[in-house]
Amino acid sequence: MPAVDVQEIRRIFTPRKREPVVALDGVSLAIPAGEVHGLLGPNGAGKTTLVKILSTVLLPSGGRAFVGGHDVVTETEAVRPLIGIVFGGERGLYTRLSARQNLEYWGALYRLSGAQIKQRSAELLERVGLTERADQRVEEFSRGMKQRLHLARGLMGDARVLFLDEPTTGMDPLAAREFRALINQLKGEGRTILLTTHDMVEAETVCDRVTLIDRGRILATETPRSLGSLISRFQRIDVEDAPREVLEAIRAIDGVSSVTTLEDGTVRIEVHEEGATTLVLKELVDVGVTAVKTSLPSLEEVYVQVIGDRGLTV
Amino acid sequence: MRAFLAGAQIQLRFLRAYPDAAIPFFTAPMFSVIFQMVFRHAGREDLTPYAAIAPVFIALWWLALFNSGWTITMERWNGTIEMLVAAPSSFAAVVFGRITTTTLLGVVSFFETWLVARAIFGTKITIYHPWAFYATVFVTLFAMAGTAVAMASLFVLARNAVTFSNSASYPFYVLGGILVPVSFLPHWIRPVSAVVFLSWSADLMRAALQAAPMHEFWFRLAMVAMLGAAGLLVGLYAMRVILTRVRGTGELGTT
Repeated sequence: MPAVDVQEIRRIFTPRKREPVVALDGVSLAIPAGEVHGLLGPNGAGKTTLVKILSTVLLPSGGRAFVGGHDVVTETEAVRPLIGIVFGGERGLYTRLSARQNLEYWGALYRLSGAQIKQRSAELLERVGLTERADQRVEEFSRGMKQRLHLARGLMGDARVLFLDEPTTGMDPLAAREFRALINQLKGEGRTILLTTHDMVEAETVCDRVTLIDRGRILATETPRSLGSLISRFQRIDVEDAPREVLEAIRAIDGVSSVTTLEDGTVRIEVHEEGATTLVLKELVDVGVTAVKTSLPSLEEVYVQVIGDRGLTV
Repeated sequence: MRAFLAGAQIQLRFLRAYPDAAIPFFTAPMFSVIFQMVFRHAGREDLTPYAAIAPVFIALWWLALFNSGWTITMERWNGTIEMLVAAPSSFAAVVFGRITTTTLLGVVSFFETWLVARAIFGTKITIYHPWAFYATVFVTLFAMAGTAVAMASLFVLARNAVTFSNSASYPFYVLGGILVPVSFLPHWIRPVSAVVFLSWSADLMRAALQAAPMHEFWFRLAMVAMLGAAGLLVGLYAMRVILTRVRGTGELGTT
């Protein structure tokens, strides 16, 4: 039985006086126990919506979802003790209370006894490196410290399934690295973690598998290693004022998938093999074309191509 | 019970962290001075019990109502309301614990108000029926907290509950006959006043401060208890229904 099982979940928001918005459109996902699963996608992809449904604070418009085998809509009382939620950003803590007071409150809400609350909050403060600041008001904490406290709060109930919603947003690189190390420790304890992010490096560092999601639909689920190699293979080069004969020569280079002229006159060259970009750039520079811009395609663009190549269905 | 106690404990910590929540403890003595002066100027010393009770009820009701709105709004601003709802403990029980704690602390306003009346005007407030008075205070505090839970469930639906809770206080002062006797109100409004527990408890408390025998004490006390319990039960049920509704609309954490 998967720790998290999402079956054809749909969620439609109906804002007042506006058209309905489809946030999730038939999402299915199974996460085995003990896996760190990344949910990777741009803003508005539906990541947070899925986390909210799994956390029992939002109802789906259709489909079903289970955590630890319990339905998140009809068995909320069984689901809630199993889960811990960690949101990124400044919100989610009582900033005028101390770190210890925050944890003690959440411990009580997770029905721990007085002795358990004291012991667990001390352990978690030690674990996230906040023992020295335990009795300081949270409003005096740095972003990284607040985020570590968020994680400790999410662990007060000893959750077996953790939902981390963009937990490193706004952190400096060092703090983000420390935070990822903590996630790796939790993985070592056999906890199941669903981590939403739009940071490819983060997904690659801590996740066993990554699901790409965009516009409420899952594009694919892969290991981070396969995703990384896919993305580095696909590149595009935008060129201005390149002679026609040079473009023809480029078209003939192995690894060049297409050479197309865009509406504004810019020529877009797309490659699908490592090393092809270097050859294209050499051709252009040799004839003095310097108005060149290289970029990676969006994850969705890569996946549309990859899935087409492999003949897989989404 | 554990959720109730968790709410009570966190509320004590919040009151220390957010001293502005204690404003009624400063305004109650001021109201006492105003009301005493008005009645004395009008030559109506017989209305002293009104001047002694009204500031206390204003403080207690403001504490209960404002805190129910503030609790919901603050959790939204903090981004904690969704995590509270997703916790295993009952959200309504936590809110009830928080409001009850604040309301209990409101008892301090009795001492403040009566001390000011004595110090400035030399007015001595005598409790002629002490057990009836204490029983009424106890049941009134429960009814206050219970009714405030019902209001809190409505505040979950409102984007800015604090504004709503501020404006919701005055109709209850009028309907409860806190300062102006209900008998002075138009006839058509009296049935509405009869279902507001404040009108029963304010009458009882004033009666306990007068030498005349108290009539139908147990019936009137039972009315306070019943209306308070009804408020609490409606509040707990409404909270469940409303939380399900906002989980459906996706507006739980909306500020």
